[in-house]
This record gives sequence, C-alpha cells and structure tokens, in this order.
Amino acid sequence: MNTTTLTVYRRSRPLPSVVAICVAMIVGAALLVKGFLSGGNLVNIGLQASILMMLAMPMTLVIMSEGLDLSAGALLSLCSVILAQALLSGLSIPLALCLSLLTGLIFGLANGVLVANLGLPPFVVTLGTFGVAQGAALVLTDGNAVAGFGPELARLYGASLLGIPVPVVLALLVWLATHVLLYHTRFGTYVFAIGGNRDALTLAGIRSRFYHVGIYVFAGLVVGFAALLLTGRMNSAHPTGAIGMEFDAIAAVVLGGTSFEKGDGWLLGTVMGVLTISILRNALNLLGVESSLQMVSIGLLVLAVILIDSWNKARKESST
Amino acid sequence: MATNENPKGGGDPGPLLELRGITKRFPGVVALDDVSLSIHRGEIHMLLGENGAGKSSLIKVLYGAYRADAGEFRHQGKVIRIDSPADAKALGIAVIFQEFSLVPFLNIAQNIYLGREPRGRLPGLIDHARMHADARAVLQSLGLSYDTHALAGDLGVAQQQMVEIAKALSQNARILVMDEPTAAISDRESEALFTVIRQLREKGVAIVYISHRMKEVFELGDRITVLRDGRCVTSMEAAQATPEQMIRSMIGRQVNALFQRKGRFTPGDVALEVSGLHTSTGVSGVDLHVRAGEIVGLSGLVGAGRTEVARAVFGADPIASGKVTIFGHEVKGEPDSVVALGVGLIPENRKAEGLALGRSVQDNLLISSLWKLFPKGWYNAREAMRRVGALVEKLRISPPDPLRPARVLSGGNQQKIVIGKWLNAGCRLFIFDEPTRGIDVGAKMEVFSLIEGLAEQGAGILLISSELQEIVHACDRAYVMRGGRISGELAHDELSEQNILRLAI
Repeated sequence: MNTTTLTVYRRSRPLPSVVAICVAMIVGAALLVKGFLSGGNLVNIGLQASILMMLAMPMTLVIMSEGLDLSAGALLSLCSVILAQALLSGLSIPLALCLSLLTGLIFGLANGVLVANLGLPPFVVTLGTFGVAQGAALVLTDGNAVAGFGPELARLYGASLLGIPVPVVLALLVWLATHVLLYHTRFGTYVFAIGGNRDALTLAGIRSRFYHVGIYVFAGLVVGFAALLLTGRMNSAHPTGAIGMEFDAIAAVVLGGTSFEKGDGWLLGTVMGVLTISILRNALNLLGVESSLQMVSIGLLVLAVILIDSWNKARKESST
Repeated sequence: MATNENPKGGGDPGPLLELRGITKRFPGVVALDDVSLSIHRGEIHMLLGENGAGKSSLIKVLYGAYRADAGEFRHQGKVIRIDSPADAKALGIAVIFQEFSLVPFLNIAQNIYLGREPRGRLPGLIDHARMHADARAVLQSLGLSYDTHALAGDLGVAQQQMVEIAKALSQNARILVMDEPTAAISDRESEALFTVIRQLREKGVAIVYISHRMKEVFELGDRITVLRDGRCVTSMEAAQATPEQMIRSMIGRQVNALFQRKGRFTPGDVALEVSGLHTSTGVSGVDLHVRAGEIVGLSGLVGAGRTEVARAVFGADPIASGKVTIFGHEVKGEPDSVVALGVGLIPENRKAEGLALGRSVQDNLLISSLWKLFPKGWYNAREAMRRVGALVEKLRISPPDPLRPARVLSGGNQQKIVIGKWLNAGCRLFIFDEPTRGIDVGAKMEVFSLIEGLAEQGAGILLISSELQEIVHACDRAYVMRGGRISGELAHDELSEQNILRLAI
C-alpha cells in the first residue's frame, strides 16, 4: 500500500460510481444542453448547490452514524420563517441569525437526545420533528409568506467575494468546517466509531452518547445557518419553502458513496453528489422539464448508483 | 491467599490488584460465584476454564463493563471501585477482548489511539503525524511493519488481532488482560507476541492471560488459576502444576443432576452424510455421518467450526466443496429445500434465529408448517388449534397458553417451542446447536428427554454442545472439532470428558 498525503480520503472500496457520474453529468450537460456553460448559468448552479451543500454536509455525518435526518427540510423552512420575522420586527441580521441558529440547535438537540439517549429509531424521531417543525412554520405564518423586511439580506446574498458569490463562499466554508471536524478532530473520529463499532468507543472510555447527540446538534446548527441563504435568495420566507430538500440532501449523500452501515462515509463523495444533483436539476430546467419529473430522475439516478455500487462490491467480494 | 514469590516483583511483595469474593448473577445463572484472585506485578497469570466457566464475565467485571453484585477490589491494598471502563483505565488496566473492538472505517493508527488521540498544535485538532509515528513504534515493538494508514476493515483476522494487541500495549498498561489472544493468529505471530509479553513481565507489568492451549499455558505462565462453573477451583504456581492436573480441575466432579439415557436404539439407515466439506466460513475437510435413531455429538471449543458445519448442512451458508447428503438426496441449495427433506435446525441463538419473540406461542409453533394449514387454500383455524394444543401438551410448554407472546416464556420453554415447530413440520433429522444454553437444570433434563424421544422414534440427531458432560451422557458417539477440522471421532465406550478435551485443545 502506498502512503499518500490524502490518507484521510482513503477508502477500502473501489471509488463509488459518483465520480464517473459527476464527470459524465458535467460533460453531457456541456455538450447537449444549450446555454449550460454560460457564465450566468454556472453562477446559477453554484447558488442552487450552496443550500443543498449546507444540508448534505451534516447529513453525511448523520448517515455515517447509522442515522437519518428527515427533519432537515422542514427545519430549514421554520428557521427561514423565524429569521424573516426577526428581521421584520427590526432586529439586525446577526441577531436574527442567532435566533435561527437557536431554533436549529433546539431541534438538533431534540433529535440527538431522542436518538442517542433514548435509543429511538432516527427515522421515526426525525419524522416526528419534521412534523413539528413544518407545523410550527405554518402556525407562525398562518401559511403566508413573510416579506417586506428590507433589502439588506438580499444584498448580502447577491454580493461577491473575489468574484465568487457569497452563498458559494459560505457553502465552501461549511464544507471546510465539516471536513476539519470529520477528519481532524476527536469528534469526527468518533463519528466513524459510532457508526462502525459503538462498543469500541464505550470500551475506550468515551461517552459515545454525548458525541452522538453532537452529530444532530451540528446538523441543526448548519440548517439554522443555511436559513440565511434560503431567506436571502427569495428575500422572503415561505413556511414550506424548503419542503423536500431533505430528499435531495439524503440523495446527495447516498450518491456520494456513504453507506448506512458500519460508519462508511466519504465527504468528498457527498460534494460530488451535491454537484451531480444540482447539475441534473439545472440541465433539466434548461431543457424545460418540470420539477416533479426532475425528482423522478434524481430518484432513478440514486437507485441506479446504489445498484452499480452493490454489484461492484459483490464482484469484489466474490473475487477475493 | 497466595503470596507472590516471584523475585521480579521487585521488593514489593503485595498484590497489585486483588479481587475478593466477586459475585455476578444474571437471571437464572450465577456467572461468578465468590471468585478471589490476586494479580501481581511482573507475573503472568494464566486463567483456565471450560466454555462458560466464567472467564469472560470475570474480565468484564475487571474492566467495569459489568458491575459485580458482591465482593471488593483492592488496589495496592486499598479498597477501590471499578464501575466503568474509565475507572479501569485510570487504574492502568487494559484488555484485549476476543470480540474485536476495532472500527472498520478508521485506519490502524486511529484504532490504536481511539479515545486517546494526541492533540495537535491547534486546539481541538488531532496530531495525525505523531499518532502514526507512535502507532508505527508500537507495531514495531511487536515486530510488525503494517501500514498504519490501512483501514481496520481491510485487515485479515490475524492482523486485526495484532492491532488489538498493539492497542492494549500502547496504553502502557500496568495490568494487561488478554482473552485468548492467539486464537486467530499464526505460530510466528504468537512467538512475537510471547516475546513482547515476557518483556512486559520484565518491566513489571501484571498480565492476566486466558488460554485454552495447554502448551502456551505452561510455556508462559507463572501462576495458573482454574475457573469452573463461576468458581475459582485451583490457583497454583505453574512450576508445580501438570497439564493432566489442570484438565482434571477444569472438568471436576459435577454436582448437577446428570441426564441418563433410557436406552440405546438400533441405528437405521444413514440420515446425514457429510464428506469433504469445505466452506468459506472456515470448515475445512469435514467428514461425518448420522444414522436414523442415533444421537451423535459434535463437540469442540467455541470457534472450532461446529456451528459453521451445521449452517452449511442446513443450506444457510454456501458449500465451497464437498458433499452433504440427506436421506440419500444431495443438498444443493437454500434452507427451504433442506427443510423439505425433513431437516430441522435448532439454532444456537434461539432468540434471534429460532423464534419470533413478539409473536404468540401458537404462531411460532406453526411457522415451519404453514402449508399443512392451508389444505384448500385458506387458513384452517380448527386444524391449527388442534395441532398447537397437541404440541403444547406433548412438550409440556408452560404456561400452557398458546396465545402468549414467546418473549415472556422462560428459556427452557422457548427452546421447547423451537423444537416443537420442527416436530410439527414432520422432520426426521434434527440438528441441535447448544440446545441447553442459558436454561435451567430442570428444563435441560426435559430437553434431553425430548431429544431422546425423537431418536427413539427413528429420527437422526446431531447434537452440538460445549458442555462435555452433555455429549458424554446423551450421545451414542461423538465427533470433536478443532480449527475447522474433525480432530477425532469417539465411539460410545471412548466417550469421556478427558478424551473430548484432549481432542479439542
């Protein structure tokens, strides 16, 4: 075995098909879809990908811990609504963001405690908090959009840093933070262990539940932060504005080769999954395909990739 | 209590850690019964005992994974508590467990230092470079040059075991507990390990070493303690002990009521024939046969490959090469085709593999024979009730209420249900895998009466058991396995616990 500097990326399996699919998607869209390569469209893809990226980063950690977070989309809607109402009541952006982060923290803590401390199945727990968050967003707004809080947030969303749109910069920062967290801290090491061998962690004298809750808290906080982008993009907040976004996030993670078992995760794969889905949606948009059919194609893509990867794995195992 | 006469103890004669009267009970079982043990610096303390003698429970108590119900620990003479793994770690206790405690998608270095990651210069970050350097140094001391970046999940069993050992060594433990560390590694690796263990003894580390291999017990050990039925029966200097003596202590005289066969039945045709069986699960070249009306034992230590043979015969694991013939039909396929030949498997882990715990006694009894209840395409409730009633009566399932969930019954009665579901399916060859594990003495007797009754009616029985006396008393003859092979066959007049142990170890 050779020793590379990128050891943290080392995986025991052949690269998942997401690498090939991501490249094929870019080349295919560039060749077949008119206007795909225009500067404006590329910025557009970046902007669309940035919110998905923010949801998919912590979702990778959640799935690695043999968990699932169905509440992410609804929580994003709720945080966005709270952020917008705070701005409407005259609070500054940082203070409004704090409220949004606090909301994310509370839901993350609830998910984490129910899953890690009470041992309830993540699917059921986050389905419950999904309902609570979605309902709360509707109650707070009477089902109407929240708008009219001035242009500052929209201006921030539209700004650029060194030619790169601010939302993309923020999404890259979230990626960087998650990367450091997963590969360079104890917390990240324990994420692998919680999914891979929880007993090993306990026997090493580590309070695995504490870190297990931490995964969901991290997820909640990042969703609270992502509300900034969602609200800025529309310069308003809709109680169902982020509905179904957890679907794209989970799809991106699964596309990226992270498994629901044994703590097998790959952050870079998730990034490629996010790109693949964003490009697919964008290309289908340009081709005039309606959004429900886009969802069908993402679902089919995920199924295809899972099939290919499991065939590869079976072939590898039978050959050894 | 024994005193340490080992000069390497270095002027301090008292034990480093002392266990006094440790008792641990589980529902229906006393795992540890008033066990006392002294662990000295610079001494290799061998722990011997049959399967289920309490060795693993003792380690778990020592490591704070179980909390003792009674008894005390003394560390250098002071009474202390060990309530959690963290307490044990603080005392300098490190354990190499038999079940590997490695995380598959972390690399070797991360696994060795799990929970003790070196901190980097920036707060909160891990110093990967130092961690890998330290890991390489620890592996080097074991004579290994593994790539510390390799993921644990990619390693073979032997390599994983060596990483486990490296993990324990890296903790600079003052008390190092090893649970059969050589069970999965080669002789060459064992030698390297022994060298390291001796070096640690020189440094004054106290070592508790569990093994089944007499050779290494006497090669390494300074002191030998034998556990039996959760009690400490012998503790003596290795120099004064002999292998024969140790085997005798491990077996002892059993005070339990013994099962006595009513009679022997004339064996009929060959029911099961296995020849040259190899599987990917570790069975290598097994030949055996069972005749109708015969109870044939399959003994050996845990991990010798007995369950793997049973699973291959039952079609649950693929056969790599060799032949399994049941009532003259060669087995090629899945469990359903094997069941159709009239084979019932009573699995080792009855709760996970033998029962639907949440369903009723009735549902469990009927699950293997549903086709009999749908003669005209719909469920015949009257026929179902008739069959269940007859079985509950025949097996004396208690309480005799077929509608209770299986979960609430005792272990013995649950086992009867598992047997009953195959009776109902009309099986003529039964494979029992540890049928008496975790059930009380009375229920054991009933289970054996049932087994004997099946043989009397002409069924062939393959009985897998770690309890030597069960094999000796219940079987007509027995095979003994070691390392995936049959190490010997014992005819009825050769069946004794000594003979089995000799072949098994």
